[in-house]
Amino acid sequence: MGTLNVEALSFRYPGRGETVLDRVTLEIPAGGIFGLLGPNGAGKTTLISIFAGQLRGATGSIRAGVEPLEALRRRRPHSLGLVPQEYAFYPMLTCAENLRFFGAVQGLAGARLKERIAAAAGFARIESALARRAGRLSGGLKRRLNLAIGLLGEPEILLLDEPTVGVDPQSRAFLLESIRSLAGAGRTIVYTSHYMEEIEAICDRVAIIDHGRVLVSGALSDVTRDGSGLQELFMRLTHRSLRD
Amino acid sequence: MRRLLALWEKECLALSRDVLGLAVLFLMPAAFIVVMSLALSDVFKGGAARQAEFAVIAADPKLADSLERNLAGDGFRSAPAPADEAAARDGVRRGTPSLVLVVPRDFERALSAPFDARDAPPKLTLLADPVLPPTQLLAFRQRVLGVTLSLRVAAMMRRAGIAANADAFDLKRAATLSVETIGGSGRPSSVQQNVPAWLIFGMFFVVMPISSLFVVERREGTLARLVSLRVPFSMLLLGKVGPYFVVNLAQAVLMLLAGRTLVPWFGGETLAFPARWDLLAAVTACTSFAAIGWGLLVAVCSRTLEQATVIGGVGNILAAAVGGIMVPRFVMPEAMQKLSEVSPMAWALDAFHAVILRGGGAADIAAPCAKLLALATALFAAALWVHYRRRVLTSAQ
Repeated sequence: MGTLNVEALSFRYPGRGETVLDRVTLEIPAGGIFGLLGPNGAGKTTLISIFAGQLRGATGSIRAGVEPLEALRRRRPHSLGLVPQEYAFYPMLTCAENLRFFGAVQGLAGARLKERIAAAAGFARIESALARRAGRLSGGLKRRLNLAIGLLGEPEILLLDEPTVGVDPQSRAFLLESIRSLAGAGRTIVYTSHYMEEIEAICDRVAIIDHGRVLVSGALSDVTRDGSGLQELFMRLTHRSLRD
Repeated sequence: MRRLLALWEKECLALSRDVLGLAVLFLMPAAFIVVMSLALSDVFKGGAARQAEFAVIAADPKLADSLERNLAGDGFRSAPAPADEAAARDGVRRGTPSLVLVVPRDFERALSAPFDARDAPPKLTLLADPVLPPTQLLAFRQRVLGVTLSLRVAAMMRRAGIAANADAFDLKRAATLSVETIGGSGRPSSVQQNVPAWLIFGMFFVVMPISSLFVVERREGTLARLVSLRVPFSMLLLGKVGPYFVVNLAQAVLMLLAGRTLVPWFGGETLAFPARWDLLAAVTACTSFAAIGWGLLVAVCSRTLEQATVIGGVGNILAAAVGGIMVPRFVMPEAMQKLSEVSPMAWALDAFHAVILRGGGAADIAAPCAKLLALATALFAAALWVHYRRRVLTSAQ
């Protein structure tokens, strides 16, 4: 699939004056994990939503290799997987029913669907919870189910929007380890988080955005070359004043 | 098609675990059917079925007896006469009897006097219980005047020396009048009114589970995830149509059975099944599409569960109140009857009555069904329009 190239991407919500993304330019190579950082309201989720095809009206371009991302999604609808920060599944359905449903809407059926459910459930280690209602799971299991659903279609581009929010340290460590293992094999992973140590632990490249603009972007080792940690760099670039 | 089936299966599973939603869809209309069919059974039977007691106070026991005999029948039953007018007033105040006819002492003599148009007619007083339905009071009043007229005619004939059999002046023997209602009984019985009415009410309550699940889907990001999987929004809406159409059909079957078995089991009358099941199915389908369209629009317009509950619930109750579900339209004043024509529930009720009550054909249900289908199409289009206008999410196509 190749590198995900974002060029001069701008967006504003209809009816609102402010520009949420202002000529954002990023290079997100395949085979690694790209950390997207920014304070609340910086534009991270908007950027992820545009990647996922949920928002239209953005100007600029997004290319997957040489092909526009939208054309790739049209050609291979399940080339992109989204793991949103919300628990984007049905709490009244069991884990197995959720996986079956999200697999089926991606066109999976029969043995292939069963195989993908088993693989995704195994990867997220939720096999023992398959028969349980999703709404009654612990926070960690819910996050793992959320991840498993995002992996059902074996996406080439995986968008992870704060996937570890509200989980205990054990589940968090497991999720980070699992996400790390997903990198490679030509897969592009975009990871947003407020936890700097997570980004430092699993990402190869990072970008810090604020007020819709890219403040810094590059390999993690390059942006922290002056010896300051990511946390210090983030606070220096985005200032310390409260945002919400 | 596979994706649509998956959406239908998900919707069915979600609904099957929504106990409150199922209760609203099935128990609520069934309970209303039983309770309202029994509670309103007398109202729907009309004056003839509601026996009212009356008494006659007259100085002449023979005249009192004659009046009692002639006035009794057709929903009026004679009761022992009170001792005097004061006792009669006390009795009527308590509602026993409901009516007392007070005949003055010189009444018969006034009747027998030669008729002179310039003279005031003989005076009678009728004491009436205020809770008596106005139509029943009017019927008794006409009955009294009819009997009085027959007494006057008999007196005139006697004066003229014409012999006549007393039975000739008996109102009940004046003629054999048979009332033939064209196209069934015309006015519904209690069970004929309440089964389709509360079935329609229950069908429109699919707005609750449709909109509440939709709000949860949007709030939890599930909708966003489905859009990112390139599931078109129109398909997401269609994914709700199939399951709720089946739910509406199940409601129709169960509510008809409730009218057939449950209501008589509690002592009410039995619902007569219609002759044309195909027409009943068509009416049910059209009502279902309108109800689901309403549910989809409320779902798309509501941002919270509270909004969905208020818009959907209040909208349904208003449409039911105006549309003759809660209060039959034939008892409404003319202005309200005209207003009721704007309620989709009234259109549905008209169509159900055409099939269940009047034994009508396809032509009789064509207009209300066309209106329901047009409304369903408009509501579905409005749901899509509101969605795209708000740009909450974008279409993935």
